[in-house]
Amino acid sequence: MSIDFQSETEPASTAAVPALEVRGLVKHYPGVKALDGVDLVVHPHEVLGLAGENGAGKSTLLKALVGLVKPDAGDIYVRGEKVRLRSVVDAATHGIGMVFQEQSLVPNLTAAENIVLGSEGRGVRGGVYRWATMRKLAQEQLDKIGSHIDPLARTDTLSFADRQMVEIAKVLRIEQRSQHPPVIILDEPTSVLESKEIETLFTQVRRLREFASVVFVSHRLDEVLDVCDRVSVLRGGQSVGEVATADAEPSDLHRMMIGSTGSDDHYHDGATADRAQQRPMLEVRGLSGKTFKDVDLDVRAGEIVGIVGVHGSGREDVCRALFGAEPTTSGTVVLDGDKLTLSGTRAACAAGIGYVPAERKVEGMVGPMSVADNMTFAKQSSRCNGPVVAPKKQATLVDGWIERLSIRTPHRGTAIQRLSGGNQQKVVLARWLVSGDVKLLLLDHPTRGLDIGARSEVYRLMRELASNGVATVLLADSLEEAIGMSDRIIVMNDGRATKHVDCPSGAKPTPLDLVKEMV
Amino acid sequence: MSTPVITKPVPDAVAKQGPTVAQRVTSFMPVIALVSLVVALSVADPSFLTQSQLTAAVKTSAPLVVLAAGATLVVLCGGIDLSIAAMCSLSTVFFALWLPDLGGLTTLAVVAAAAALGAVQGLAHVLLRIPSFIVTLGGMSIFGAVALVISDAGPIRIVSDDRGTTAWLNTFVGGYVPMSFFVALLVVAVISLVLKFTPLQSWITATGFSESAARLAGAPVDYVKVMAFTISGACAGLAAVMLVSRNFSGSPTSADNLLLPAVAAIVVGGTAITGGHGSLWRSLCGALVITLLRVGLPIVGVPSAWEQILYGAIIVTAVALTLDRSKVLIIK
Repeated sequence: MSIDFQSETEPASTAAVPALEVRGLVKHYPGVKALDGVDLVVHPHEVLGLAGENGAGKSTLLKALVGLVKPDAGDIYVRGEKVRLRSVVDAATHGIGMVFQEQSLVPNLTAAENIVLGSEGRGVRGGVYRWATMRKLAQEQLDKIGSHIDPLARTDTLSFADRQMVEIAKVLRIEQRSQHPPVIILDEPTSVLESKEIETLFTQVRRLREFASVVFVSHRLDEVLDVCDRVSVLRGGQSVGEVATADAEPSDLHRMMIGSTGSDDHYHDGATADRAQQRPMLEVRGLSGKTFKDVDLDVRAGEIVGIVGVHGSGREDVCRALFGAEPTTSGTVVLDGDKLTLSGTRAACAAGIGYVPAERKVEGMVGPMSVADNMTFAKQSSRCNGPVVAPKKQATLVDGWIERLSIRTPHRGTAIQRLSGGNQQKVVLARWLVSGDVKLLLLDHPTRGLDIGARSEVYRLMRELASNGVATVLLADSLEEAIGMSDRIIVMNDGRATKHVDCPSGAKPTPLDLVKEMV
Repeated sequence: MSTPVITKPVPDAVAKQGPTVAQRVTSFMPVIALVSLVVALSVADPSFLTQSQLTAAVKTSAPLVVLAAGATLVVLCGGIDLSIAAMCSLSTVFFALWLPDLGGLTTLAVVAAAAALGAVQGLAHVLLRIPSFIVTLGGMSIFGAVALVISDAGPIRIVSDDRGTTAWLNTFVGGYVPMSFFVALLVVAVISLVLKFTPLQSWITATGFSESAARLAGAPVDYVKVMAFTISGACAGLAAVMLVSRNFSGSPTSADNLLLPAVAAIVVGGTAITGGHGSLWRSLCGALVITLLRVGLPIVGVPSAWEQILYGAIIVTAVALTLDRSKVLIIK
């Protein structure tokens, strides 16, 4: 990677000075070197992609850029001027703003209030809210990105995609603070969007380029190549190179990210021959609830069944209902020959059902609790002798799984929230495996927010579980994932299962075939 | 199981390691705060550090320790129990009323009754989905009023013949440790050990930090909460027996002034009021700090007006020291 060291001594034309430059950034955490001399250059009116596996240091780098992390060494330059960023406000003053992966909007305020929150400016006079001005200011921001969202709509009534637009509008407020084109950082903006919404977002990003620089972070390499002008790759806390997107393939990027050629068989489809047994594991008949009706679902032992559907199809609720976390009004569920009562999550666990929720950080794990306690949480008996916890038994068991799943953690006693997303998810999955008696796994977006390497490991794990006879219901992150991983796919539409599509290895349907059924 | 496709080498620097020195110090902060307070009081008045003063102080602290210990469980689950003081007052009345009939069994009966009332509050919280703050605020009012009604709004004296029932609490263990304080320590130790050596600790922690995550992993969240309220009630009952052993009477308002000190004890110990992080040992330290402030400041000659100012300032300082901010994400 070449760095333009001239820029420091060359104040001449502003066009030559990078909008943002990072040199030799270092950040240590106890036991982990998150950043190990990272260099990065963002030119004005450029969309720079940032790629790297989980744990490569992307999140830490981004946090350093908006003042949330104080680097141990290295410098950050804004338009050639060395800056020290102490807070998000500090970063905003220098024209750097970030749209966070986990949305940072206040749900019970209106879009307008959220947009001006923290930078009310003319919206507040003499300590009093001026609603009309505020609304106008917000509208200006929304106009800038060409959005038609009603500024007076409460944020929690908006769709995820709309909320993201509100976030972008909010971040653009930093233009008011700085006289220069801002640098907007988008952290994983597409991870929970449907494909149509992703297109809208990309149009937006290209618009942003007209008056700002954009740093775009995504795990989906095709997207990165599609929307960015240039991609910088991080690996193990270091900059390992950059590519111009015009002549690059996803596989090139992937190679740089992992340091070798990745497997072509992303979904490990080859490992799947004859895994589905004939023995029915799950039989659902006429299951109805608040958002779904008359759903039939069969999953055989060793089979992976994907459920696809647009937002509001009810597929998440079916999944939760099977786990006893959502009330049902009628229908029967038989698991491995036994009729289930669906009385609650505890009964579901006891019956041998495992559930991986989509919201990993809120519902999937207990952040401040240790890796070990999170891993044995659902199956307490796995770490007990009788009613008493046996620390040695737990240690042996947990260390075994840490090694088997190559979970990257300093120690089994480390709080799970300090691990990267992929490693957290492996712990959450391991939770259902430690006791070895899981019959049915309900996976709600198990790869959401994971990088390509971590995804691959999760896929591998799913295949292995299937070949051990576990039945899996998968709500995939993308149609490609659903098709790649599933043996059969069920399409849900308005709370009903409208179509069953066989999806055997070697005769997979295309995403287009499924989309036709979904809308 | 076969190896994953992409194996990430674990750097040597990331080898096995436990908590850092700073983290260990933080977890001992409540003890450090307590010791500092004892040292400060002794410096202010060297006669404070005598056996009789210390014995009197820990004996005074016993009911507060027990009350705070029980309520800590509720706080760890993310709730709050405001009814403990009223429950304790009511229990002293129960004790005085039942003693003539039940004799030696009165202690057990009172603890059981208080536990049952606690369980009812827990069930109301869980089944009717009412915030614990409101359920126990209602409980506080109801228990206080019931105590007034059944006691005819006045203290019920324990006649000298019956005082033998609680006399054991006024003995000393090993000649130095007051029995009531020893019992309080025992309560803290037994509950702490049961938590530590059963899945309860995990369940309580998870419930406090993230109830939905606990539920979705099949943890018996509702049972755990009801259990916490039950134990909190039982502790209030036991604290009542201690109060009766000291006052020789049951009174409908005898423990009412212990509610805020008990909450303060929990918080001063460093238990997060938002749930999840904390322990009964911390509350024990907190209760001792609070008691020492109450009895110690007058002993060392602080004027009574200044006493309140110091009390407030020291509590805030103690929390500043003991709260482990790395474990508590949002401070409310």
